[in-house]
Amino acid sequence: MIALLALVAASALVACGSSTDTTAEETAVSGKFAPVADAPAGYSEVSGEADLERSGSGTEVSLTVSGLEPKTAYVAHLHTGGCDQADPGGPHFQFEQGGPEEPPNEIHLEFTTDSAGEGEAEATSKREVPAGEAGSVVIHVGDESHHEMTAYDPTDSEAVATILVHEGVDHSKEGGHHEEAEPEHAHSDKVACAELEGAAAAEGGTASGGDVPTIVVRDGEPVGGVQELEYSAGEEIRFRVSSDAAEEIHVHGYDLSQNVPAGGTVEFDFPAELEGIYEAELEELGVQIIELRINP
Amino acid sequence: MSFLPLAHALASRQDLPVPAWLFAWGASIVLVVSFFALAAGWRSPRFEQLHERPLGAGLSRALLGLPVQILCGTIGVFLLGFAVYAGLEGTAAPDRNFALTFLFVTCWLGFPFFSAVLGDLFRPFNPWRAIGRVTGAGFRAIAGQRPAHLAYPERLGRWPAAIGLLAVVWLEVVYGNGGTGFDPHTVAVATLVYSAYTLAMMAAFGTEKWSESGEVFSVYFGMFGRLGIFGTRDGRLERRRPFSAATTWATIPGSVAVVIASISTTSFDGGQEGAFKDAIETVYGWFLDAGTNPTLSLRLAGTIFMLLCFAGVAAIYLLGVRGMRTVPGAPSFARLRAGFAHTLIPIALAYLVAHYFSYFVFQEQAQFGYLLSDPLGTGHTDLFGTAGSGVDYTVLSANAIWYVQVAALIAGHVIGLTLAHDRALVYWPDYRKATASQYWMLAVMVAFTCFGLYLLSVSNG
Repeated sequence: MIALLALVAASALVACGSSTDTTAEETAVSGKFAPVADAPAGYSEVSGEADLERSGSGTEVSLTVSGLEPKTAYVAHLHTGGCDQADPGGPHFQFEQGGPEEPPNEIHLEFTTDSAGEGEAEATSKREVPAGEAGSVVIHVGDESHHEMTAYDPTDSEAVATILVHEGVDHSKEGGHHEEAEPEHAHSDKVACAELEGAAAAEGGTASGGDVPTIVVRDGEPVGGVQELEYSAGEEIRFRVSSDAAEEIHVHGYDLSQNVPAGGTVEFDFPAELEGIYEAELEELGVQIIELRINP
Repeated sequence: MSFLPLAHALASRQDLPVPAWLFAWGASIVLVVSFFALAAGWRSPRFEQLHERPLGAGLSRALLGLPVQILCGTIGVFLLGFAVYAGLEGTAAPDRNFALTFLFVTCWLGFPFFSAVLGDLFRPFNPWRAIGRVTGAGFRAIAGQRPAHLAYPERLGRWPAAIGLLAVVWLEVVYGNGGTGFDPHTVAVATLVYSAYTLAMMAAFGTEKWSESGEVFSVYFGMFGRLGIFGTRDGRLERRRPFSAATTWATIPGSVAVVIASISTTSFDGGQEGAFKDAIETVYGWFLDAGTNPTLSLRLAGTIFMLLCFAGVAAIYLLGVRGMRTVPGAPSFARLRAGFAHTLIPIALAYLVAHYFSYFVFQEQAQFGYLLSDPLGTGHTDLFGTAGSGVDYTVLSANAIWYVQVAALIAGHVIGLTLAHDRALVYWPDYRKATASQYWMLAVMVAFTCFGLYLLSVSNG
């Protein structure tokens, strides 16, 4: 088993201005694949592109990549974070957070490279990935846990993409299936990463996911500085915080706390009952990440 | 642009900026009131006499007698000692330690607020004065003579208190702003150092002399106490006309520096995240670029702006004084400068109320809630069953806070104008000249009040 191709993605090109467009218009973002710094021999030449297109009624993700091992099975996942973090991409994107770690709740693209080490793949979903949440596409070495690469046709010199949106098939294991319960095996076999909206989040600090702003915390700091969120009294306050390290997020005044695991995201959702300006901070570090303004 | 790594030790909440419409109303009322004040032009001073009425002899004896003096002094010494102990031994979390809220909210804000209504409340509880008096009494009992003191240099006046006032606020809002300096331990050590310094000065110059001139807290709280309605004279408690005792406050040199220090430090704190933020950030950036570390850069930038505030407030006042000098028959510049200093006390109080009133109301819930039951913040002490209590932020709505802020500034403006007009009538018996001189003070007051409104209305963050 090819393990420990743990990597850090280097170049990250990115995402267009329309990524924050929340209307149902067609929007597309794309990013270039790059291998990671201490990638083992054989993956230093990886390049290619990932595209994500929102059509209002669904999402289409596609990739073309070269520089991989010939005739080898790979799988790519849509992740929420950017490439430029300790765990490239962070957690998998999920439509229902904490739900099944498989399509259709996640977006997976499986493919096998041709003899030249090139491949392409495409996946569609009938749901739209919220703006700002399509952080990156990360390619993993396909291992034993992914046996669904059925569409490979050895007679065809071109790699064949497998469309892996398993509509109607319930892959979820029964019962509560927590992310922490099963250490992400995939972390050990990442090959390359293409940043989509991860860098948009990196520049703005807030990637609005639908109406829900997400505050990205990296290296103990809110990316782009303290985020200002404004509400009127009585409204619903909703925001997400994703962090590369485990932290306790504390909203002062309202006195709400949640622990975010390393590479994870937590969502706050509470009514704006208290007027004034309140801080949310990384409790252990005492670093402010959000300024909440609640107007009367 | 580098953003300021400000951290609030105690306040996890800030007031919303006053909305534009309320700013406009406030400023309009200030102008209308000011013109009315000029037009009214009363011809004899209203507040220059105290009109004191002694309270009952029995009540005076009971409240001012030696047992009560000893009791109050003991309470003062105990609380100071306890705050230092909590600071040294308790949790390092500023908001969970009794010391910071007690010293910087309950005392630092509570004494001005309540003294301004009731009269000087700090004097009976002043722990250093209590220690000084007991030591003095002990010395007399043992040595059989009065302790010999150095003559206090009168020219120094209240300057030590003014500088001390800047230092205290600097510790809180500049040094403590990086989130590293304002911890209970540092404050406890600073309190011990200050106590040693104060007791040494009291030993050198005499307890009462130092309390009157050099001791920061006595002078600062006492200044606001001059607005209050109760005072003492010859061991007798008396009721006096409100604000009237202020008229005799600034007779000691350097008094004007104390009141200017008060206004300017409040302005600085109010503006550092709003009106002055961009400018401070720029200077902070210069220091960073010069290779200074962020914490020091922040403190340097803050120090510079606090001193600039002091210079700015002083300049506005001195310009007004300079203007009054042009009115025929004016007394000397120095006399005018000291003569109108007390008219700024209501402005200083208004600034304090406007900037810290909600903070005081909220933080006192912590003081008398969880901090009282768990003063060291250990998490497993619950003396009065309130260790689990929190702060109810719904007791004041944003609107209520705005109205109090604007009302405080307008009230301070009116009282300041009134005291100034009174004082002008003392210097210029001809009321027309007195009124002419007051165009200048009016401009000063309008400047301070509108600046205060502006600080409140600038969106912080």
